[in-house]
Amino acid sequence: MFFNSIDFFIFLLIVLFCYWCLVNKSIKLQNILVLVASYVFYGWWDYRFLSLIAISTTIDYFVGLRLYASRDRAIRKRWLWVSIVCNIGLLGFFKYYNFFVESWVEMFFAFGYTIKSTWTLNVILPVGISFYTFQTLSYAIDIYKEKLKPTKDFIAFATFVSFFPQLVAGPIERASNLLPQFLEQRKYTYHNVSSGVKLMIWGFFLKLVVADRAAIYVDAVYNNIDNHEGLSFIAATILFAFQIYGDFAGYSLIAIGTAKFFGFHLMTNFRRPYFSASVSEFWTRWHISLSTWFRDYLYIPLGGNRVVKIRWLFNLFITFLISGLWHGANWTFVIWGALNGIYLIIEVLWFKKDRKGIATIFLTFCLINFAWIFFRANSIDDALHMIKVIFTSPGRLYIGSGDDIAASIYATLAIAILLFVEFKKEYFDTLFSISKSKYEMIRIIGYAIVVFMILYLGVFGKSQFIYFQF
Amino acid sequence: MVTKEYKLTIIKIIKFTIVFLIVDFVLGIISNQLFYSQETGKYARSTHAVEKTNAEIIVFGSSHAHRHYVPKIFEKELGKTCYNAGAEGQQLLYHTALQEMILKRVKPKLIVLNIDENFLYTSKQAYDRLSDLHPYYAGHSKELSAILGLKSRFIDFKLFFKSYQMNSTIVHALRYYVSPQLDYHGYRPLYGKINPNKVNSHTKEEVKEYVELIDDNFVEVVEKFIDNARNNGCELVFVTSPTFNKVNHDKNKSFIRIKEIIATKKVPFIDFFNSSDFNGKSELFHDFSHLNNDGAELFTKQLTKKIMDMNLINYNKKMIE
Repeated sequence: MFFNSIDFFIFLLIVLFCYWCLVNKSIKLQNILVLVASYVFYGWWDYRFLSLIAISTTIDYFVGLRLYASRDRAIRKRWLWVSIVCNIGLLGFFKYYNFFVESWVEMFFAFGYTIKSTWTLNVILPVGISFYTFQTLSYAIDIYKEKLKPTKDFIAFATFVSFFPQLVAGPIERASNLLPQFLEQRKYTYHNVSSGVKLMIWGFFLKLVVADRAAIYVDAVYNNIDNHEGLSFIAATILFAFQIYGDFAGYSLIAIGTAKFFGFHLMTNFRRPYFSASVSEFWTRWHISLSTWFRDYLYIPLGGNRVVKIRWLFNLFITFLISGLWHGANWTFVIWGALNGIYLIIEVLWFKKDRKGIATIFLTFCLINFAWIFFRANSIDDALHMIKVIFTSPGRLYIGSGDDIAASIYATLAIAILLFVEFKKEYFDTLFSISKSKYEMIRIIGYAIVVFMILYLGVFGKSQFIYFQF
Repeated sequence: MVTKEYKLTIIKIIKFTIVFLIVDFVLGIISNQLFYSQETGKYARSTHAVEKTNAEIIVFGSSHAHRHYVPKIFEKELGKTCYNAGAEGQQLLYHTALQEMILKRVKPKLIVLNIDENFLYTSKQAYDRLSDLHPYYAGHSKELSAILGLKSRFIDFKLFFKSYQMNSTIVHALRYYVSPQLDYHGYRPLYGKINPNKVNSHTKEEVKEYVELIDDNFVEVVEKFIDNARNNGCELVFVTSPTFNKVNHDKNKSFIRIKEIIATKKVPFIDFFNSSDFNGKSELFHDFSHLNNDGAELFTKQLTKKIMDMNLINYNKKMIE
């Protein structure tokens, strides 16, 4: 069930009605309802993988209690390893097993050995596994570090793990933020619903108008690189930058908005990342829930920046390398992560921390786009070919034929609207804003026009969200 | 307290709904005007077919229909007016819906459907591209509802909104206003011929292996297309266009099924696949799949002769001359 489907709206209305009208007197019943709804939501894709969520939930629930109960450091460590092995094991098996087997085979082949039996598995990647395993893992780690007390309420914990608005593509919530909300009385307020609707409307604009429009041109070029030249690769990469932003930030906003309907507050996941003046700033604005996860559970435990410089740089690099691998079982993602790590190392070594200005924003945007080539390309060979062509053969800009031309124009128009809105928010937030107007009718008309634009300019029935595959 | 919040929410939802419906109606009317003011381009052609044409012969089909059937030759050879309602990239679902809308207003004497051999194979694009019919929903909901319903269960709800009906039409409208796309009664000729250097690698007879499945909806609509023509008293002929390469269709389940339907329903069928007048003649083809203007004229002449031979229409050559 996708957010951009009528099925989801019907599902949401039914669940909301039950939540606020039928079981609103009991936190327990509300949690049970949300838990059931979340399992239905997930099962809509593939009910077979519900067992994985249930396994991950059960293990971390008991690990949490065991960790808290024990004062023995060695025993606590053992329980933490149970959580790590189980969660990373699930992730590794379903997401990376084939990738590593194939990579080993290729490596042996490069050294002249041929391995015939590769033992690859015919399994599909369970939707959202990278997100909920990280969420439950953080719960166990926080209890181990004594930053969090475990809950004894299994239903509340299971609902926290499987909360449907953010189950399949984040934001990756911390137990310290979200779990207590499942233990408290939720209050229905018009303000929550109103802000939820506003976030959802903008999220749908980002997804259906910006991302899905840009995707048409991006796919036409990236899936057919032999027939395109440098300028088309540059245009497609810039459009991809907005496609992935619109897609993922759009999903996050819809998730945050949906959660608000139920009285929950999820963390902000994007903060106008393309206005960053450095790559390090970019990573404080892009997929914030993941970058802070890696910061707190990998980078800092490795020593962070409180070590000798060479070790600090290594910590940075390895964090981004693993972040790249988290995005997908493909070397293109690993290189994408490594590139970001290298950018950060260069910034640490040679650039001032508080850079500002249009030139640095532009430079950062170019660097991020260069890395996106690897992220989007179908293979490393494709990415290298594109980079070579960009620098050696700019050629002519492909603008599409037939309906493709229209797609490029719609995408450009949508990106212009997005940039205008974000530019104003970034630099002139206090100036007049339709959404903050004191006149109710102006606010309503403003949002009605955005909904009209979504229906008038959006792409419908085309695609799922990119980050579901991660 | 909570009841007050519920009431407030309901009032705001009602307010927003009313305002949105007004915005949708007002901006929808402007978009509608813009859409119907188009004089050239794909929408202008489909609008002409649906709302204006009184042609006695109407041609349906994909780009092979659009690029191969020359109305002025039909008119010259048969003495009957002709409109080419072929649409690039469209398949049977679209053609049947278009036919139903046209038949609501006029009853042409002859309907020509250009058959592509793969018409019955499953195709997501065939469903996706039905959105080209959304702008006509307001005036033709009865004819469109069933076919558009194959794409989405909630299509009638979605198409209640004018903004959704007119989705993705504005750039087309503006584009062809700035740079008109001329056609001749729906026909748009292709010029140029196949690069001789590419010919050698494409001259051998193709025996394709097909893995696609037949879509039952497509089978139903091709039968519906036939029944619609019959029920409205129109003569009907199915035609296949010439191809550059000789193609062996013995393993093509789609084409085999189409021929079975043709035989069962006794539909006149004129087959130009593998016509020796066209196979391998690069001077008649724009690319390996489409005739150029010279090829289209020759094809249409040969077709009209066969139509006359089969007595499919009471032709009156002198009337036009």
